[in-house]
Parts: sequence; C-alpha cells; structure tokens
Amino acid sequence: MAEKMLSVEDLEIKFELRGKSLHAIRGISLDLYKGEILAIVGESGSGKSVFTKSFMGLLEQNGKVTGGKTVYYGCDDGVPVELTALKKEKEWYKIRGHEIAMIMQDPMTSLNPLKTIGAQIMEAVMLHQKLNRAEAKKKTLEYLTDVGSQDVERRFNQYPHEFSGGMRQRVVIAIAIACNPQILICDEPTTALDVTIQAQILALIKELRHKYKLSVIFITHDLGVVANTADRVAVMYAGDIVEIGTAEDIFYDPKHPYTWALLSSMPQVGIKGTDLFSIPGTPPNLFTEVKGDAFAPRNPQALKIDFIERPPYFEVSPTHKARTWLLDPRAPKVDPPAVIDKIRNGGLV
Amino acid sequence: MEKEVILEVKDLDVTFGEKKKRFEAVKKVNFKIYKGETFGLVGESGSGKTTIGRAIMRIVPSTGGDILYKGEKINGAISKELDRKIIREIQMIFQDPQASLNERAKVDYIISEGLMNFEKNLTEAERKERVDQALLEVGLLPEFSSRFPHEFSGGQRQRIGIARALIMNPEFIIADEPISALDVSVRAQVLNLLANMQKKRQITYLFIAHDLSVMRFITDRIAVIHKGEIVEMAETEELVTNPVHPYTRALLSAIPMPDPRYEHNRKLLVYDPAMHDYKTNPPSWVEFSPEHYVLANEKEIKEWVKS
Repeated sequence: MAEKMLSVEDLEIKFELRGKSLHAIRGISLDLYKGEILAIVGESGSGKSVFTKSFMGLLEQNGKVTGGKTVYYGCDDGVPVELTALKKEKEWYKIRGHEIAMIMQDPMTSLNPLKTIGAQIMEAVMLHQKLNRAEAKKKTLEYLTDVGSQDVERRFNQYPHEFSGGMRQRVVIAIAIACNPQILICDEPTTALDVTIQAQILALIKELRHKYKLSVIFITHDLGVVANTADRVAVMYAGDIVEIGTAEDIFYDPKHPYTWALLSSMPQVGIKGTDLFSIPGTPPNLFTEVKGDAFAPRNPQALKIDFIERPPYFEVSPTHKARTWLLDPRAPKVDPPAVIDKIRNGGLV
Repeated sequence: MEKEVILEVKDLDVTFGEKKKRFEAVKKVNFKIYKGETFGLVGESGSGKTTIGRAIMRIVPSTGGDILYKGEKINGAISKELDRKIIREIQMIFQDPQASLNERAKVDYIISEGLMNFEKNLTEAERKERVDQALLEVGLLPEFSSRFPHEFSGGQRQRIGIARALIMNPEFIIADEPISALDVSVRAQVLNLLANMQKKRQITYLFIAHDLSVMRFITDRIAVIHKGEIVEMAETEELVTNPVHPYTRALLSAIPMPDPRYEHNRKLLVYDPAMHDYKTNPPSWVEFSPEHYVLANEKEIKEWVKS
C-alpha cells in the first residue's frame, strides 16, 4: 500500500446561518495516498469545496468542524499534524501553501491585476523556499517553463491582463507549485476554460504530479474530466461520500443509484431525439437532519429502508465501497441502467 | 421536397473599432438555417460565435453582408413593421441566468414584458393566464410569478429565461450557451425542455456553444467557427464521425468522455493555423461530400481526401 498523506475520519462540518445550523459535511472518512489523483465529483452544494477548504483552514467564519478529525502525514519531520486541532492562523501558515496548496476555478480572480506575473510567483518562492532574490528569480523562470510558458523572460515582467485564460491558469498552477507543496487541491480548475485548453491544463497537472511527486485532489462536476485525470474517484452527495473506488470501479461498475444517475445524465451518453436522463427533484435541505439515504427521495427505485436508516458502507472490493442498501445481501436485485454497459464496452465512441 | 429556409446569413461581416484598432470579429460568414431544425455554432471563446448570434438579434450592427429572415433582409435599416415582426418572432436565451434576469422585477413582469409591448389590448386576466401557462410549460409553478429572481436556483432561473422567450410565440430562438452555467444534473433538464419545446411548437434553434458533446446530442447540423470564419459545416453525425478540417479534429479530440480506458489512450490533436499555406494558395468554401462543406485550398482537399 502506498504511503498515506492525509486521513479524514468521520469529519462533520456545520455552518451557523441566521440562528439555524446547516449540516454541510455529514461524517466523511477518506484517505489520500502519495502520488495519486483523487477526484471528488458532485453537484454544486454537495459540499465538495467546503470539505477540501477545511484541509487548509479556509472555512468561513460561521463554519466549524463539529466532529471527527483530519490528520496530515506529509511534514518533513515525519510528525503527523492534526489539522482539525489547529486553532491559530500562525499554525495554519505552516500548512497552507507550504504543505497543501490550492488552485481555484477562476484564473481571472485569483491573480493580482496590479502585480507582474513574475513578482507573484516569486513572492511564493521567496516565502516558502527561503531563497534570495536572484535565486528566487531563477527558480521562478524554471517554474514558468515547467507550466509550459514560452519566452519566460518577457512573460516574467507581464501583467495578468496580458495573458489568455489558459495561460493565467498555468500561472496560478506555477504559484501553487512554487510553494513546494505535498498536496495540490484543484477546485474546478478547468470549468472556465475552452475544451482544447482544458485538455492541455489537465495534461499539465498530470505531468507535474510526477515531476513534483504531488498528491492531487481534483474537484469537478464533469465526469469526462474525471475519467481523464483520476486514479480514484469519490462521489459526493449532500455532504457525504456515497461511493468511492478506482476510476475503473466508478465508471465500469458503479453501485450507488446516484452514481448511476450522474453517469446517465451526461450529454455524451445521450441518444439524439430521445430525452436525456435527468434526476428528478432537488438535493435535500441540509438545514434539516437527513433521514436514511439522502438520495432516496429522488430515486424512483428506492427501497423502504432507504427512508428509515442511513446505509453503511458496503465493500464491493478492497478498493471500492458504496453507501447503498442495494448491496445488502437481503436487498432485491436492481440492475444498473443500460448506459453503464455501454460505457464498459467502450460503446460511447 | 426542398427544405424551407428560415434564416440565411450571406457574407456577414462584423467589425469592432475603427482604423488602427479595427478588429474583424466575423469574416464573410455564410450559412442557412432550415425551418424546424437545430443549427449549432461551435467555437472557442473569441471565435465570434456569440457575435453572429447578436448580429442576428441586431444587438450589434453588421458591417457587411445580409441577414435574411424568411427571405427579407433584417440587418441595416428596416421598416418599423418588419422590426416589430422580428422582435416577436426571433427570441434569445442567454448564457448566464444570474445576469440575464432583472433582479428588481418580479417573475410576472420579467416574463410578460414583451407581451405588454406587443399585445397592448390584453386584459390583466388574460395576461396573467398567459404567464401562468408559460410557467407551467417550462415546468415551474404559476405561484412563482410573484417572486423575485434571487429566490430561484440556476436551473429555475434558466427556465424563467426560456418562459420569457416562449411567451412571444417565437418561430426562431437563439440560444447562446444556455446550459454552460448550469450544474450537471440541471443541464439534462434544460436540454430536454428545449428539445420538447421544439417538438411541440416546431421552433427553429440556433444553438451556440463551445462544447461539442452537448452539440452532438442536440443539433441537426453544426458549423465550426474559428477566428471569425466558418471552417467546416455538415450534418452533426457526419461532422462528428468524419471531421475533415484539422481544427474540427482538434476540437473533437479534446472532448472528455466518461470512459477512463478511452481517456488514457486518447491522442490530443493540436491545431496550429500556421499549417495552412494560404498566402500563395487561398482557400475556398468546398463541398467535400454532399452537404459537408469545408474551408480549404485545392492542395489541402487532395490531402484530406486521402486521410
């Protein structure tokens, strides 16, 4: 088994909003291993961003970890750090950027428009690698080359507005890498980009992960992107991971009805002239306590027990588990939709 | 039977700025849209696809060429009657449902603003009835009409945007990236809604998007646009299975598919416009196979036929 970088146990996060409490993360357990790309997929509001922001101490003021713990194992001295126990901003400085770095969705807003690209990358290099200016500049140019930038000397002195969207995202990646992190969290890094640029950025992230031995957490709602990048996939719904497995497990042998629904609703699997599968209803209101399987009200084939008791994880294989009563030996046999067969047999292309 | 052309764009030019700062956003674009079909315009950001849609809506003026709607020229100076007719018959659905609805108006007003201008003798009761009907048609409840846009989710807002277009009984709808800002599960709902409206009312769509996987699902024919020029146009399946132009191929090769094995073996093609030798041998609009057009010069056609 590969080395564990991060381990989350029964994490609970609640937000206080106008006197009410919103249960955003409802008991998630997850391990991240060295060098892997783990994708987290889910609809907006499923809690995927909140979950990963908690690793960096970036939750909003009204958000609190109310249960469970997150432990980080990647520090140089080998001492595990319990992230959920960190209180002071000063303690977070050691983790944020330096151990765990993040790339946001919109490259337009994550760069400072008033500073040159070079200065912004160099700032990270100097802060995290303790180098003098000349060395830092040399390093910065290296990073710019690494992220696929040409004519780096000229690029170094340019401002963000002189860059295209794809190039800006490359710069943001360079800044993240310059912090020399162990874990890179990518929060929808390609949603704002064109498909051809998206493909290039995905290739870049995969390449850098090898070069810098990064563990990557990749947040997205696009299952096509997941298939391209991820080694393992966690499917999130209503603040919970409902299914987790290798990319092959999730795409070729999914077990949870929500994963089935997500896969079926992609335009890539649709047949022209017929209705595309769409998930009825809306995600549950997390202000009220969810009873049973959170997806049951939207699942036409839900079992009675789905409304009464929350399903535990059932192990499908050592790498694959899902939270659905369908995997209980007593459950009736429900076949996955035909689309899954089509995906498994390579019938999409 | 000859298909009826509802909209024809001939040698359309749109330029912004003047003299030194002149920028040609759309260069000599030609296409026809037949009644009842869904015609797709695909391209990357900055390719001019939205500008074409806006030129048809007459939001941006065209610099040259003709736009013919049912055989009548609708760009440039037109009569007041024709102007009113087009406003009724051509409607638009926008990309961002957060930005395209007036935040300070109630849904009732947003949806019926067009009616108030064009059917002035409607009684209050009739108007309300029409709004309720439009809401029901897009899968919303009539009681929503007294609410404000911020009370709705992205998918619901997009439905309000669609209801606003539908209430005018349009024949032609321009949908500019109508699902790009929506969540995965909601995308399917909105795509289905658009398709069902078309079946029910024989609406013609011009569908503008950058995502070929969505296009493949919803359109009948596709034109691929690059830097203001259409480089290839064909029926959807033909274009997807037999792409000819290197840019179309590059676009297709970049579509992510939900199949890890396929993704790991995928070869990404990169399009470099410098590959064309158009200085000495300028390209022309060639019918490559029936109804399949491509922009190329003679030498390229010969090469591409082989591959």
